[in-house]
Amino acid sequence: MMHTIEEINALLAEVKPGLAPAPDEELVKTGLLDSVDIMSLVMALAEEFDLEVTPLDLKEENFHTVTAILALANRLEEE
Amino acid sequence: MSYNSFIYLFVFLGTVWLFWALLPQKWRPLALLAGSMIFYVATARRYVVFLLLAAGVTWAAGLLLGRLDELQAATGPSLPAPERKALKKRISAMKKGGVAVGAAALLGLLLWLKYLPFALRSTNTLLARLPGHVSITVPNYVLPLGLSFFSLMAVSYVVDCYRGTAKPAAHYWQVLLYLSFWPHVVEGPFDRFATVAPTLFDPPRPSYRAVTFGAQRIVWGMFKKVVIADRANMYVKAVFDDWTKYSGAAIVVGTLLYTLQLYTEFSGCMDIVLGSAEAFGVPLAENFRQPFLSKTVGEFWRRWHITLGAWLREYLFQPLVISKPMMRLGKFCRGKFGAAAGRNWPVWISLCLTWAAIGLWHGAGWIYLLYGMYYFAIQFLGELAEPTLLKLLPRLPGWRKTKGYQLFQVLRTFALVNLGMLLFRANGAQAALQMLRSLATPYAGSLLIKLDARDLAVLALGALFLLGVDLWQARHGVGLRQAVEKKPLPVRWGIYIGVVLLIMVFGAYGDNYDPAAFIYAQF
Repeated sequence: MMHTIEEINALLAEVKPGLAPAPDEELVKTGLLDSVDIMSLVMALAEEFDLEVTPLDLKEENFHTVTAILALANRLEEE
Repeated sequence: MSYNSFIYLFVFLGTVWLFWALLPQKWRPLALLAGSMIFYVATARRYVVFLLLAAGVTWAAGLLLGRLDELQAATGPSLPAPERKALKKRISAMKKGGVAVGAAALLGLLLWLKYLPFALRSTNTLLARLPGHVSITVPNYVLPLGLSFFSLMAVSYVVDCYRGTAKPAAHYWQVLLYLSFWPHVVEGPFDRFATVAPTLFDPPRPSYRAVTFGAQRIVWGMFKKVVIADRANMYVKAVFDDWTKYSGAAIVVGTLLYTLQLYTEFSGCMDIVLGSAEAFGVPLAENFRQPFLSKTVGEFWRRWHITLGAWLREYLFQPLVISKPMMRLGKFCRGKFGAAAGRNWPVWISLCLTWAAIGLWHGAGWIYLLYGMYYFAIQFLGELAEPTLLKLLPRLPGWRKTKGYQLFQVLRTFALVNLGMLLFRANGAQAALQMLRSLATPYAGSLLIKLDARDLAVLALGALFLLGVDLWQARHGVGLRQAVEKKPLPVRWGIYIGVVLLIMVFGAYGDNYDPAAFIYAQF
């Protein structure tokens, strides 16, 4: 099953209340997400979507926009 | 051989560069290796054995991991699906074993030499409270030069080979050069093999621009070290070594000057080592990015000693959070306390362990653990308060976005960092607590401690000058040297000669000063 932007946005809002970025808005370089937020999001992705995340998936570029996070979630789902 | 010594700057660097430049391209990496070995042996003598040993373990582990990958790639596709799967599983298990043994051997060396005496001393303190007067003999090891740096770089190499993000080196000398490369062996930065290997093993041709750019950066580093850090050291040493004599403003000034000393010394050292490597065409990783312009403590640590933070994030914090025990803990917390707890507690526990590691990396002692826990406490409290703050944010007026509020954030971070610096420099946990208490007691004596008014004026102007350069770089986003390079020749040379003259006139050397050894070289 493929995931959606809305699902990712819902998870982001849980991790950072009030955060509702546009799909291609920069999240990491602007400081909206730091390394602790990213790992909380990873825990949420693993738990909510039942995904197995490896250290190689934790590259910054996989989290820099909502679209990138969605692409990561869908790739992990396929694997 | 210290990076700011005459013999390093005027004899070693020049001689190695000449040999390196005169040799044919294919021999140039060996000139770098020979230079690195001479530097290490001249500085640390027989302790080079530990470096050679660590390079051996690192090279063998990388080679094994690479061979296992090759075996799978060569054999796997020709096998039927079930056997292919079984082979993949076997190779995966062997790779896990290889990386675990390699990393354990390298970290074992660090733990044994750096932390065993501390662990035994702490055990003896506990045993002394028990009946029977039992005590364990504490070995008195001398730490090999750069052990805390080259062992972590070695671990990153082995893990990167395991993950497939670095191609294992075919030859032992390549790993030895990576670990022992003289500009980063003493104080870092923690360079990654995949990033530096291309220029280390096939460096760009010698060029005038690389040499002048390297030399400019070295001079800038010397300015920070000789004019500011060594001068501030006099005051800092007096206040922190004899802390019972001082209180109030004297401790405040001592702490501010220690912050200035540590920043100018460490970033100055990085300028010297990055400039040295740059002259040979090897770009090393940057360790500082205007840290004192940070608005939060978290941001400060992303701009201060960047490569240590990145190493711990990538090789400790992140793997710890997604490890099986943490995932199980997450499930448990989610079942008992809700989704947020399941998501956050594994992250917070991993964060606590990472801060403990950052503290203890700086030294084997309770004060360093306290230093790490201080930053964990600030970050943890920030994390706890964040959800409420984020809900309130839209209701707060626009003043949060004003320059005044941002300046307040920068000053608040600066104050918190200075408090951390006091803990870091104090002679033990007891001394730190006493110094904190005596902050409330007014200081009646003169604030000219070991330094006269001229020295303090030089330090104040030096700090303002650095702040100006940092603000300029943050605003323009390019290096100062690139900007100076575009100026007309008289302006360019005026700046170069001006900085050299500043070092010569205002440098803290001679009978009245006591130049300090590089602080981070002792970690």
